[in-house]
Amino acid sequence: MDSFTEQFPIVFQALNVGFLQTLKLFGVTLLGAIPLGLLISFGSMSKFKPLSSLVRILVWIIRGTPLMLQLLIIFYFPGLVFGKQLWGGGESGRFIASAIAFIINYACYFSEIYRGGIQGVPHGQTEAGLVLGLSRSQIFFRVTLLQMIKRIVPPMSNEIITLVKDTSLARIIALQEIIWAGQAFMKGSHGISGAIWPLFFTGVYYLAFSGLLTLLFGWVEKKLSYFKA
Amino acid sequence: MAILEVNNIRKSFGRNHVLRGIDFTLEQGEVLSIIGSSGSGKTTLLRCLNSLEFADEGQIVVNGDTIFDASINKRPSEAELRQKRLHFGLVFQNFNLFPQYSVLENVTLAPKLLKKDSKEAIEKYALELIESVGLKDKVNSYPCELSGGQQQRVAIARALAMKPNILCFDEPTSALDPELTGEVLKVIRSLADKHMTMIIVTHEMMFAHDVSDKIIFMDGGVIAEHGGPEILDNPTSERLKAFLTSF
Repeated sequence: MDSFTEQFPIVFQALNVGFLQTLKLFGVTLLGAIPLGLLISFGSMSKFKPLSSLVRILVWIIRGTPLMLQLLIIFYFPGLVFGKQLWGGGESGRFIASAIAFIINYACYFSEIYRGGIQGVPHGQTEAGLVLGLSRSQIFFRVTLLQMIKRIVPPMSNEIITLVKDTSLARIIALQEIIWAGQAFMKGSHGISGAIWPLFFTGVYYLAFSGLLTLLFGWVEKKLSYFKA
Repeated sequence: MAILEVNNIRKSFGRNHVLRGIDFTLEQGEVLSIIGSSGSGKTTLLRCLNSLEFADEGQIVVNGDTIFDASINKRPSEAELRQKRLHFGLVFQNFNLFPQYSVLENVTLAPKLLKKDSKEAIEKYALELIESVGLKDKVNSYPCELSGGQQQRVAIARALAMKPNILCFDEPTSALDPELTGEVLKVIRSLADKHMTMIIVTHEMMFAHDVSDKIIFMDGGVIAEHGGPEILDNPTSERLKAFLTSF
């Protein structure tokens, strides 16, 4: 199968399968990192010094080392130290290890964005709520939350679009995401070998998906542009 | 009986003694202006009245009900605190309107959340208040679409919506351009005409002179001089004389 028209349907099919795995890692990372990031940001803002120091050191380590290195450590460390594959073998094991690494890494980045958003809302807003007799939770949900969301949407959209492309790092532990799927046609797969265009073609998927997200976040920003905070 | 009795309020931040024994009383319907240079403790006193700060010593009594007593060690529960705050309203120097809500929503938010009345009654009263501060045509505008003077008038309506016994103003015109102070002062003056009990921290000496029943001059955390508006014409203490000549 040498002609492009013969190769295309086969490659398209395989890349779709790979992209589904990319999307799964992307979705699971967001689902885990968005709430975990909030916990970490509360920890880093804690008035209890030992906790805030500990959390800030963790954030420093995670943000200060490559995600690829974190992936390798989380995937191989249990096997090397305990002589046991904690994550289980095969693709599902690789996915669990990837998801853990990505969630921890992105939660740390998100926590810093949240911290900026929370601390960026003027204290006068809380005080205005207090003198009107509102409770702490009413002030959080009805006064400050939306102002925080407005503040964090631009930096969050930046991180989330970066995440789309960072999922390809899971290739290093052979997670069968879209880069892996594209690369397979170089070595030989589905009767096609020595083809480099499938790898290049993966870029179209990334572009389309990040384009979609850009539109989505642009829409959210516009929705929140009716007020200044 | 006085609507407000403040006894021996003292407050320090670390080694900085901001309030060093403040005593005064206020009758129903009276307007009290507090003047003094910055750092004299005026704002801290207002914040103590509104339970945003807690004094180290002293008592605050509203309508015979002791809302604060530093000699009682037990800190009030959040629910008790919220009840006590409702005796007072506070208008801030920089308005602190809620930016994501319209003018009407700013005024109705707290009464609705605290279920002060039926939804219809709350909205009706809010519209009356907004009209009384001259912003009937801005009911559905957002704070970012208003001038500073308009925002401050909304803030006054918002504070009034909770029907406080005593309305406090913390330098309500200090963040405004000079041409916008007049419209805010006019609203405060009309409240005085309706015998709203008010405490106004201000640097507008002419205004304080015209609108007040009582004036307190604070200096270094104590009341250096107090009396009727005439103390601004004939100050007896050297410190008030010096302060007034700086204007």
